[in-house]
Amino acid sequence: MFCGFAAGAWLGGAEAPIKLVNPEISPITVSLVMVCGVFLARWSVPALVRGTSHIRADVGQAPHLVVWAILAGCMWAVANTLTIYAIRNVGLSIAFPLWNSNSLLGIFWGFLLFKELHAAGWKRWLGVIGGALAMFAGATLLAVASSHEASPGKATLGIAAALGAGMLWGTMYIPYRKAYLTGMNPLSFITFFTVGELVTMVALAISYRGAAALWHELNGARAVLFWLMLGGFVWVIGDLFQQYATKYVGISRGIPLSNTNQLWGLAWGVLVFHELRGGGRITYEQVVGGSILMALGAVAIAMSSATEDEHASWKDAARREGERYGVEDEYVRAGMEGRAYETAASGRSSFDWLLIVVATTVFIALALISKPPQVDVGFGWAAALTIVMFTLMAACGVALWRTTRFR
Amino acid sequence: MALRTLSLMQEARLTNPTEPTSRRMYLAIATDIHFWIPLSVLLCGVLLLDKLR
Repeated sequence: MFCGFAAGAWLGGAEAPIKLVNPEISPITVSLVMVCGVFLARWSVPALVRGTSHIRADVGQAPHLVVWAILAGCMWAVANTLTIYAIRNVGLSIAFPLWNSNSLLGIFWGFLLFKELHAAGWKRWLGVIGGALAMFAGATLLAVASSHEASPGKATLGIAAALGAGMLWGTMYIPYRKAYLTGMNPLSFITFFTVGELVTMVALAISYRGAAALWHELNGARAVLFWLMLGGFVWVIGDLFQQYATKYVGISRGIPLSNTNQLWGLAWGVLVFHELRGGGRITYEQVVGGSILMALGAVAIAMSSATEDEHASWKDAARREGERYGVEDEYVRAGMEGRAYETAASGRSSFDWLLIVVATTVFIALALISKPPQVDVGFGWAAALTIVMFTLMAACGVALWRTTRFR
Repeated sequence: MALRTLSLMQEARLTNPTEPTSRRMYLAIATDIHFWIPLSVLLCGVLLLDKLR
């Protein structure tokens, strides 16, 4: 549950660096550069946290999950691109709640395919479904409040794009859950996830923009590449917590909790980038009402943790996965419980250090050629929110380390 | 009855020790309904994206 809240803070914070970038750059290129930052982070952060040797051990035990991870990465890239078209066509106010419906779809798949919420009792059902619906209503209010610049038109296609993104993200949690029921470490999963993500995004960017035009645009945007890649890096930290939340509390609870990212995105927008400055009373009422609804929904879900009976259902689903793919029973059980598996290797190799050095060098090089943002920024609030994010990361990181050693 | 026979045949193929591991793995994925759901949604998403261009 704690991971779900930390995920919300970091996923929401990832929007901040992107707001510093000139809006003239094409959305596809923005998405591509972000994914490059994500790719670097997704190879270097696991190397720093635990070393990559456990990835080889995980792949050796459950090689089929590489296919699932790449499939999930492809889905993420297509969904992310769809959201750009959704915002263009129907505006943020309609698009955001529509694609945030992914948590409701996640609950559906969790129940139908992975025995989540089975034998959970009506109180927990009420907590999870009621909480997700309250968050959905809150998200709608927040999106309406923050939709000043929305451009209407091409409504049907825009709604289809937003719903499509929600469908893709909601269904993307099937591979997530599949991996974690089988005992895979989230750090291993995201390493392959990002391959699917990067390949799909490069293919989309080249087919939409053309290789020459894309290269020209990337060259012209050198000064802002750092901010976009930083956005990708921050997003990875959030996503990592989301993956741990999915692993340990399931998709029906983990995903709605990480959807609190909208609250954090709004906090950055309002406090740091002065987005609602000059807004009317109704706008502020919508913001306060939406935030309270989202917070109440998140609390309801957080208080509906899985019972022993429900855990037994999860174990049934895990056993089914292990039998189908021939994964060792002890590996599956150890992974689910966050224990060490006896043959798992540990420690960092020279390859890990190489990954860390390369990623750090790329970020430093891009930071050196970047230009300071020409945006009115509330530095005090930015510092305060950054401190809160780092505090959450440290607290959640320590809790994860103590209980699971990042397994 | 037919479904049960099919399921037993599938099970036998999945657990056949003489088949190469990778072949068994791909067969297990290909016969897993969980795989076809996200793949279908992904293909629909790509088609939708193509329409939006």
